[in-house]
Amino acid sequence: MKARARDAASGEALSGALFVAPYLLVFLVLLVYPLVSGIWLSLHKADLFGGSQYIGFENYVRLFKDDVFRKAVWNTCYFVLLTVPALTVIGLALALALNNGTRRSAVLRGLFFSSSVLSVTIVTLIWRMVLVPDGGLIADLLASLHLPSVPFLSDARLAMPAVALTTIWWCIGLPMMLFLAALQQVPKDLYEAAALDNAGWWRTLLRVTLPSIRRTALVVVVIEIILQFQLFGQAQIMTLGGPNNASLPIVLFIYQIGFQRWDIGYAAAASEILFCIILAAAMTQYLASRGRS
Amino acid sequence: MRRALACLTMLGALLGCAPKQAGPVQITLQRFFGACDAEYGSSTNVAAAEGECGIVTTLINKFNAENPDIHVKVNVVYWPGYDQLSAELAAGDPPDLVTMHQSVISDYAQRRLIMPLDDGLASVGVSPASFTRAAREGVMRGGHVYALPFDNWAPLWQINMNLFRAAGLVQGGKPVLPHSPEELLAQARQFKRATGKPYLLQSMVNEPAAYARNLFTFLMQQNAVIFPDPHHIRLSTPQAHRVLALFKQIYDEGLTSKDQDYTAATSGFLNGQGGVYLVGTWMIGAYEQASKQPGSPLANGYAVVPYPQLYPGRDATYADGHSWVMPTAKRSAQKTRAIFRLLRFLKDNDFEWSRTGHLPAYRDVIDSARWRALPHRAGIAGLVDAATPLPPGVQRQFIIQQIVSEEMESAITGQKPINTALADAQRRVNDVLFNLL
Repeated sequence: MKARARDAASGEALSGALFVAPYLLVFLVLLVYPLVSGIWLSLHKADLFGGSQYIGFENYVRLFKDDVFRKAVWNTCYFVLLTVPALTVIGLALALALNNGTRRSAVLRGLFFSSSVLSVTIVTLIWRMVLVPDGGLIADLLASLHLPSVPFLSDARLAMPAVALTTIWWCIGLPMMLFLAALQQVPKDLYEAAALDNAGWWRTLLRVTLPSIRRTALVVVVIEIILQFQLFGQAQIMTLGGPNNASLPIVLFIYQIGFQRWDIGYAAAASEILFCIILAAAMTQYLASRGRS
Repeated sequence: MRRALACLTMLGALLGCAPKQAGPVQITLQRFFGACDAEYGSSTNVAAAEGECGIVTTLINKFNAENPDIHVKVNVVYWPGYDQLSAELAAGDPPDLVTMHQSVISDYAQRRLIMPLDDGLASVGVSPASFTRAAREGVMRGGHVYALPFDNWAPLWQINMNLFRAAGLVQGGKPVLPHSPEELLAQARQFKRATGKPYLLQSMVNEPAAYARNLFTFLMQQNAVIFPDPHHIRLSTPQAHRVLALFKQIYDEGLTSKDQDYTAATSGFLNGQGGVYLVGTWMIGAYEQASKQPGSPLANGYAVVPYPQLYPGRDATYADGHSWVMPTAKRSAQKTRAIFRLLRFLKDNDFEWSRTGHLPAYRDVIDSARWRALPHRAGIAGLVDAATPLPPGVQRQFIIQQIVSEEMESAITGQKPINTALADAQRRVNDVLFNLL
């Protein structure tokens, strides 16, 4: 009897392992192996087209002394601070406003999500037409008011906020949809109970809605942190990281070092730093939220 | 049933063994210069084509039409296309021919990523002796020819003569040009007072190279040694400070356009927004066309000259050139022959290419009456001697230009003191050169 139970258990374990195996294989080959080989590469002075020399942690030391890299780290954190709270709050606000069955809300949901399906090239071209001081939409509006144009993309203080604004417009669809999905999961009887208690809209939001979608809010924040730390296309196309590297993000730095300078050991070291930053930021947010709950 | 299966098997075997039908040899050519298939996609009339894209597209169309045994498949890449080429080389799948700036050849030749072309060019009767001096220096490394030169180019002073005339800066039908930094400032102020427009138009935003080209030109004019050796740049110098101070003063006094990127500055010149546009030979054809259109701000009022000599060292202008390289790969003898036939064709049509405004890469073209008869060519013929590339042994010239331009922009727009920007540029470039493997 025991032997049969043992056989059944081991058969179950085997079939479980078989189910997991394809994913595990892909995980190991496409994630674990590149991660480990990236770490190994970062310990070398290496050229994209061959030739490498083990140098220990020299690339990391070089990175910490590199003004441009330090600026790229700050720029990226600044960009995340500009975008993630805005995406979360605006995404939630839109979801709250459009969480009903009217046709107008359905159309507006589609409209707000539509920017997300555009490629980064299209989005940045559109926003360049809005932001450029020479015939751009904003410049023309200002000119009609007899005001001087604003060089959004060539002013060191405005370049990153301009890239952030573009990104928020582009990415707002995903958080809005995630919040909408979460709002539609909130049991109706909670709202009925709140209504019976004469709770107003604000009180219902604070006491019923927000606690009910807490986990989704956490998911949105973590996803957006991970996504926005990887800023690349918008900065590359709109500002090339300028002026004076004021909008240079870490991924563009890595791209320039790896694919234009062919210094892939150094680029790999910068990639590992970025990985650690994203991991730390996402885990901090996750642990903080878990602690509160 | 069994018989039918056997027949099918034999048929399959016969089809499998059948020799493939011999088609034209396919050459994959990867180039920048833009895409213009809507206008020139099927045209073989090279003489009627205009602009870089039009001329190169019709040239390839003509070659395909005249050589039915060869088919050139064109892959157009976004300028300059080296990131894509690097990815293709890393993946072991490079194209057969690629456009490459002569300043970039060292990067690829050093790693044997492109092949020497000496024997192949000799087999189709192309000798380096036929190249101009600038072209020969541009494509030869270590005594070998690594590319077929297509042209040489340099930044120029493209002038709106109508505005110059309004500013009193035309004498005897020719533009009045400065011969010193002080004269440049005086003329720029006079121009602005008279027209209310900036004297210079410059691409200053998202600009990876123009600042550096200006600096290199005016350093060369002061006989400054920019690269004491191929692994070091020298920028923390009084000569470099002088150049940056001049451009900063021009910026501070509003004598230049500000906040324009390449597209805005290029169209700004067409729209008469300023007197002198600092841009290369490639715009001559387009602006010449605009000057023939009545009502255009450039109508009957366009001139182009090399950078004026502002410093009493020597007459020099930073220059580069376009060329065709063959990435290293295994190719059949038939395909290799086809590639060299194409290269010979491109060489034979260098005059047509020079209608873009670029300087011809071959002496017989540059010495020809028909090239000198093209508009404005007599005025820029002096570039043949003044054109000066950076030392060919210096690798990563595009990256160097980018770093120098970033730091120059910081200094000129007041984000950094000039000395700090120059020191930073020198340190960053030397770091790149030091860390080359």
